[in-house]
Formats: sequence, structure tokens, C-alpha cells
Amino acid sequence: MSNITDKLLEICALDGTSGDEGVVREYIRARITADEFFVDNLGNLIVFKKGRKTPKNKIMFAAHMDEVGFMVTDITSEGFLRFGAVGGIDPRVVLGRSLRFKNGTLGVVGTKAVHQQSADERKKAPDFGDMLIDIGASGREQAEKYVQPGDCAVFNADAFCFGDGFIKSKAIDDRAGCLIMMDMINGTPEYDAWYVFTVQEEVGTRGAKAAAFTVQPDIAVVLESTTACDIADTSGDKRVCELGKGCVVSFMDRATIYDRELYQLARKTADSLGIPNQTKTLIAGGNDSGAIHVSAGGVRTCALSVPCRYLHSPSCVIKESDYTATAAFAGAVLSAFAEL
Amino acid sequence: MDIKNTIARLTAATGVSGCENGATELALSLLKEYAPDAEIDRSGNVTGVIASGRPGAKTLMLDAHIDQIGMIVTAVDKDGFIKVGFCGGADMRIMLAQSVTVHGSEPVRGVVSTLPPHVSSDHSKVPEIGDISIDVGMTKEQAERIIRPGDRVTVNSDFRELCGDVISAPSVDDRSGVCAILAALDMLKTRESAYDLAICFSAQEETGERGVKGATYRLAPDEAIAVDVSFGRTPDSVPHETAELGSGVMIGASAVLDRGMTERLKHTAKCCDIPYTTEVMPSSTGTNADSIAVSRGGVKCCTLSIPIRYMHTPIETVSISDIEATARLICEYAAGGDNNE
Repeated sequence: MSNITDKLLEICALDGTSGDEGVVREYIRARITADEFFVDNLGNLIVFKKGRKTPKNKIMFAAHMDEVGFMVTDITSEGFLRFGAVGGIDPRVVLGRSLRFKNGTLGVVGTKAVHQQSADERKKAPDFGDMLIDIGASGREQAEKYVQPGDCAVFNADAFCFGDGFIKSKAIDDRAGCLIMMDMINGTPEYDAWYVFTVQEEVGTRGAKAAAFTVQPDIAVVLESTTACDIADTSGDKRVCELGKGCVVSFMDRATIYDRELYQLARKTADSLGIPNQTKTLIAGGNDSGAIHVSAGGVRTCALSVPCRYLHSPSCVIKESDYTATAAFAGAVLSAFAEL
Repeated sequence: MDIKNTIARLTAATGVSGCENGATELALSLLKEYAPDAEIDRSGNVTGVIASGRPGAKTLMLDAHIDQIGMIVTAVDKDGFIKVGFCGGADMRIMLAQSVTVHGSEPVRGVVSTLPPHVSSDHSKVPEIGDISIDVGMTKEQAERIIRPGDRVTVNSDFRELCGDVISAPSVDDRSGVCAILAALDMLKTRESAYDLAICFSAQEETGERGVKGATYRLAPDEAIAVDVSFGRTPDSVPHETAELGSGVMIGASAVLDRGMTERLKHTAKCCDIPYTTEVMPSSTGTNADSIAVSRGGVKCCTLSIPIRYMHTPIETVSISDIEATARLICEYAAGGDNNE
């Protein structure tokens, strides 16, 4: 495994459900060397790093620390946990999995056995209201010793490298963006810039709203992981973007119409440097850009993303070469946007 | 014998129906401690005999199946995604975005493809087996160097300790039965068995009780106990069709089982203070017992079941105390012999 992969799997393994990102924030803070940093009221980590030059435009990079997860809503008399999703999760990727609480308690999510299901039940996947977390407790009293309503859980998923340079883990969305920013901060950037590690992206880009107001940048660059649908039986524009084809530059998604000049300049810059890049062929999803570009008096915004299969599941999959391209691209746009 | 440690080892081994070798090799090495001449037969069953030393002793067969459900590779598509069919009855509701291993010429890890919630709409639709594809991160050419039609696929999952003595792991069905038999043999080391024992860790139960047929013929037992798992209670299940985890061993009663054995097993459990419930299965048991009973000229047969939750998923969940209760009942029954009556 490469150094990048090791670091990525390490940061993805941290538990950071939206609204409960403390572990991720402390991990990042302990590993960056910056000129200024502080944690705001919502838990965003806001960092300033001097470069070799001071740019004409105030530039802010953003990546979110939080991941989709689960929150316990109730404990049944039998000792099972009712729960809901934090962020957008397809319930079909939750059934039959193990989940993990921050105190180390493990649970599994199941229903009655397939043999006991009616033909109709076998054909219809249960929703969150029909599923329970089983921590093996004998009743409510025992369960309450381990878990309380309001506690968060994450996918207790395996992580590995496979195939031709592919990486599988939970939470690649958006620890990949966080890791790229950490490496930028710890490197020798050409220009001064602000870096915000945001909270609560998955529940409505809430952290970014506050962080953008605090920093008030001229230009923002959001580093993300985005939907790739380049899987079997999917063709043409339905593939959205493809692994192995480089960094994704968005022109529009469901939350943002990206600044046209930045979009074009970004792609031209990548092309001129030989950095593989592509765009999305579907107007889908959204990210912190949605909150940032309408912040204060408006912020010109660009999003650079690592294409990722099976987003918001325990099995996010990216290709290392796309991560490397996105990291190189982020450094290149800092220089390109600084004097715009 | 440490039951938790043994079930952890057994559930970590791989043995999808018809291709059980990873699990059978481990089970063989464990069985050899009690039956030094144990072997793997031509059908892939692990069998061994432990003589009681008593002239004229009857033979009691102890069976648990060693195979686990999985999938089987049917094709590699033009983009390198792997198409699969069933090998045993998996729950298709749990398949999307699962971490899997394709057991090719070397193990290949991958992920069951799915569309993310951002672009999919119907989150209640359960895919058919033919709809799913496995992403192994390779081109067709790369994949075909390692993966061939007929290779088995398993869903990756780990042994996990939950609260109390409850554990969750893949293939608890029926490695917990194998574990219970091994634990019973361990208990019998310091006891005298009234029976000659014939042990069978059988292949291909999940695809139609096929392995045990040949093994029962060869071992020619007088009586048999099929040790398998059954349905543990979940809040959405029917109480009278399930047993609580921790409620002990489930003793089978069915038209196809020997009524005398059912009664003797219950009597033994009562006398030895072993917790049990009765599992009533009117016309058939859906276990190896159905096949064992009609081997040769007929075999007196009963089932002992260990209640588990989430059967045929990668998170099968069981209480260690129920495996232990099952082992104790097997031990006491084998030691008691005719006194059971």
C-alpha cells in the first residue's frame, strides 16, 4: 500500500457522524502546522496558512469532516435500538451490516430470517422504521448501560485496496478532501490561503454557512468526493463520471451553478499541466458550495472532486490515481485563482 | 475447550457449498484430537469414528453441516464486473454495497455494485441475483486471469462480540453446530460413551442435504442427531416460531423424527438441568435429519438446534450459552445410552 492509501484509510476509519465530528477535528488539528487556526461555535476547524506570496484574491478551500451515520432514537423493552439515518443513506446498504458506537459497542442490523419472510417481504427492502440495531442486550436495562438515545453510530466496515489501484472504505466522502487540505497546509503553498474543515455537510451544508461568513473569501474551492455511476449496465451520461479519468470539475449540481470563469480556467489549467480531469454528466447531488457561494455578499466558487462509487455506503470506492490528480489540481488552482 | 475461541476460528474459515475445503481442513484438524483416523471423504464430508470399546454398542451419528451459503461466478462482463448466481439461499435484501471476496485462483476482494442515493429513487426495491454485479476494480482481461466461472463468492464479515455472551459472525449456520459437537466430544473425554460415535461434518447441506447422504450410508448408524441452527427471536418474528437467544438447546419434534429420541433427549435435558425448548416442525425439518432418517434401512433420528438471529446473512448472531447447552445435551445423551429410556 502506498503512503497516500495508508493515510486515507486511517482518516476514513475515524468516527465522525454529522454533529459529532470531534474525533476527526482533533486528528486533523494534531497533524497540521499552520499560521493561525481556531474552532468556531459549530465545530468548524478554520485554518490560515501563509504561502510564499500574498494573493490579490482571498482564497478559501473547504472540505467536510462529517460522514453519514446513524442516531439512536429509542430503546425497546427487548433491548433493541430504534434508529434513524443522519444524512442521506439508502436503507438497503444498512441491513445485514455491523455498526459501531464511539464507546466501542458493536451492533448488527437485521430482521427475521429470509426463510420466515413472505414472498412480498422478500421483495421489499425495509425502511429505517422497520429495522433495529441488535447489540445483544437481554433487555432495555442492559442496553442502556451501553447506549443512550442520541448516541451516534457509524458503519463498522472493512477497508482495503483492491484491483488495479482501487481503495474501499467508509467515509471517503469527504475525508479525501480533508486529507488533500492537510497535505496542502503541511506543504509549501505558493499563496496564502484559508482552509476550512467543515461540520454538518451531510445534514444541509450547515457548517460551511458559518465558516464562509467568518472567512468571507473572494473565491472558494470545495474539495469533495462525488457520485460516479460507472458500473455494469450503466452507459453514456448515466455514468455521471468515471473512475480513472481524473478529477471532476462541476459546472452545476442541485445546489450550485458554479462560477463559469473559474470552471473554465480550472479545466484549462489542468489540461495545460497534464492533470487528468473530467466533468459530471448529470445534474445531481450538492455540496458545501451550495452554502458558500451565497454567503455574505456572494463568493465565486469552484468544486474539485474525487470520483467515488457507492457514495454514502460502507463501501465507498475511489481510484488512487484520481485522488492524486485532485490533490495536484487543488495546488494548481490556488496559483491560477490567486491573481485572477 | 473454549467455545468462543473455537466458534471464532470456525467462522473465520471459508467453505461455500461444494467447495468447503477451507472449513473442512480446519474441522478435520480439530476432530482429529478426538478421532485420530478422521478423514475427508469423496463427497467432501469430514467423518471420523470414536469406538466406545463396548461389545455390541450401537452407533450414534452426530452430524452438523460444514458448508455455508455464498454465491457462484457465472460470467465476467465486458467491463470486468463479475456476474453471479446463488449457491444456497441468500437474503437478497442485504446485498447492495456489500464487501465481498471472490475465491479465484487467489482471493480477490470487491464490492457489490449499487447506485448511490443521489441518483436512485426506489430504495425499497430488492435486486434479483441476476441484477447484481461485483466490482473487483479490474478490466475484463485482468479479472479473467484470476477469476473463472464456478469460483465461489462470500460476503466479508467478521467475528464480533456483542453484549454478554452474544456473538455475531458469518456462517454461524452451521459452524455453531460443528462447534457444539466438538465441545461435546471434549466433555466426553472424561466420560464413558454408551455408543460408538460416528461424527460427520457434512458438505452441501445448503444446496439440498447432498453431502450427508453418502456419509450416512458409509457410517451406517443406528441413531443420529442432526445439529443445526434454527430461528432466534427478533421483535418482528412470530414468537411460537422462534426461540429466545439464551433459552438453551431446541429439541426437535416432527413427523420425520423418531418420537422416542425426542422424548429421551427431553428427559435427559430435564435430569441434567440443561435449558431447552421444544422445536415443533410438523412435516419436515429442513435439515440433514430429513435425509439421514431414510438412509439404508432407516435411522432413528432427531434434531438439536441452536437459536440464531438473522439466518443466512453475514451477521448471524448466537449466544455462546446455547452452544454450550447443546454440547452438554449431546454429551449426556451419548453417555447415558439405554439409561436414557
